[in-house]
Amino acid sequence: MKIRTLRLLTREGAANVYKNKLMSAASMVTITTTLFILGLVLLIIVNVITNLEAKKRDLQVKFYLRVETTRLEQEEVAIFIENCRATGVVTAYEYESREQAYENAKKNLQNESLMEGLTPDNFSEGYFVTLANPNDSDQFIAKLKLLSGVNPKWITYPKQELERITGIVRVFNYAAIFVLVVLMVISILLISNTIRLTVFARRKEIEIMKYVGANDWFIRFPFIIEGMIIGLLGALLAYLLTSQAYGWIVDGLNNLFSSIMITNLELMKFDQFAIRILVVNIIFGMTIGVIGSFMSVKKHLDV
Amino acid sequence: MIKFVDTTKIYSNGAVGVKNITLSIEKGEFVFVIGASGSGKSTFLKLIMHEETPTEGEVYVNGYSVHNMPRSEIPYLRRSLGVVFQDFRLLPNKTAYENVAFAMQIVEALPREIRRQVPLALGLVGLSKKAKAYPGQLSGGEQQRVVLARALVNNPAVLIADEPTGNLDPKTSLEIMDLLDEINQRGTTVIVATHEKSIVDAMKKRVIMLDRGELVSDVKRGQYTNED
Repeated sequence: MKIRTLRLLTREGAANVYKNKLMSAASMVTITTTLFILGLVLLIIVNVITNLEAKKRDLQVKFYLRVETTRLEQEEVAIFIENCRATGVVTAYEYESREQAYENAKKNLQNESLMEGLTPDNFSEGYFVTLANPNDSDQFIAKLKLLSGVNPKWITYPKQELERITGIVRVFNYAAIFVLVVLMVISILLISNTIRLTVFARRKEIEIMKYVGANDWFIRFPFIIEGMIIGLLGALLAYLLTSQAYGWIVDGLNNLFSSIMITNLELMKFDQFAIRILVVNIIFGMTIGVIGSFMSVKKHLDV
Repeated sequence: MIKFVDTTKIYSNGAVGVKNITLSIEKGEFVFVIGASGSGKSTFLKLIMHEETPTEGEVYVNGYSVHNMPRSEIPYLRRSLGVVFQDFRLLPNKTAYENVAFAMQIVEALPREIRRQVPLALGLVGLSKKAKAYPGQLSGGEQQRVVLARALVNNPAVLIADEPTGNLDPKTSLEIMDLLDEINQRGTTVIVATHEKSIVDAMKKRVIMLDRGELVSDVKRGQYTNED
């Protein structure tokens, strides 16, 4: 097909969007609705995943030294941890001296009598370590056990919690893919139904074109352009709606959670996703439009 | 040019379209296909333009084997034919000019050619002044002229007309027939299906008569009823 024919047919398709205003609007609303729902669901999923990942990073490896450690052993442990931080395995750590441990215990127990006879020397130094990658925990703990100053019985890591969170993140990832696929299928069905109505209203026209000797692409191309334009418009509209609605949802949730004293909810700003949402919307919208057109014209071409 | 070899068309509901037709039409001929309603006239024309395919036998048109044609070749067959339908079949949202131009656009003619040929074709059918009118704004006769202009604009070797005057008054009918004759004089093969006696009798052309799908007579310079 020649360039000028493509240009002619593109113009034709664009003009048809306007000429069939009602059908175009109906198709656009379908695409906008699905993309809007899709956008919100994905944003919610991304938020959940982000919060869970943040939670995962907060999980700390806690370990204590032996009560009877030598200075040398204490230094060995300090150097090991410092090295781990330098190489990036550990993002941060807290050190708790014997005195601090003693004070903390006193504060937590709130019962002087239980602390009677105890001095800071009965306590041991502790480290609370945040790992850069929680999946490194096994390896990290294995190395700790090689250090003679570390009491191997007093190394704790909330492994179960980590696994639970990892599991939940995985579920949400699958959920995201599932929602994506289901909404895509639904919207293709809806849109092809709408376009099928358009095509049905214009099947006489398609027949006439065939009888005059137009080949399939000549007929199909304007419809595809039409679907593409409608998809693009629907995607842009959905983007605007999503950004507005997301803003409202974030405000609402923040108000709600601060009113019940939960302040560590990390909701993402829409701007962080704006480009991605826009790109996803445009790609989906146009794909849905094109596939819808393609499917619904097909049937009427066999004359 | 056009050749039917023992061609039969039975529709899926069992109705007979045409039965064992064998005939040929040469280049430059003017042929009437006549018969009562249901005699197979329309089927005969539909087989030529691959609107229907024969259940048995062969159909050759302009070098194409229409009876076993790949789907992708159908548009090319149709572009070698000019077709005039009883129900006009104009694109309703295009002007007369655009409808005629459409036939040239699908063969990817140069825009310059289109601007030159379309007014000529509209002039030939006497519609120059209505170029910008939409089909809905034209009378039946005028619409049929637009269809004729569209059928002619690519200079097809064969022009097929199915009851071209079926929806027109007698005076307009004669004008359309004169146009078809004129087109034939310029070398185009013309095949007209009709049941209008007066027209066939007046024109003295080859007449092919069908009855219940069968070829009952084929006469050079014939009349509608060959009592003589």
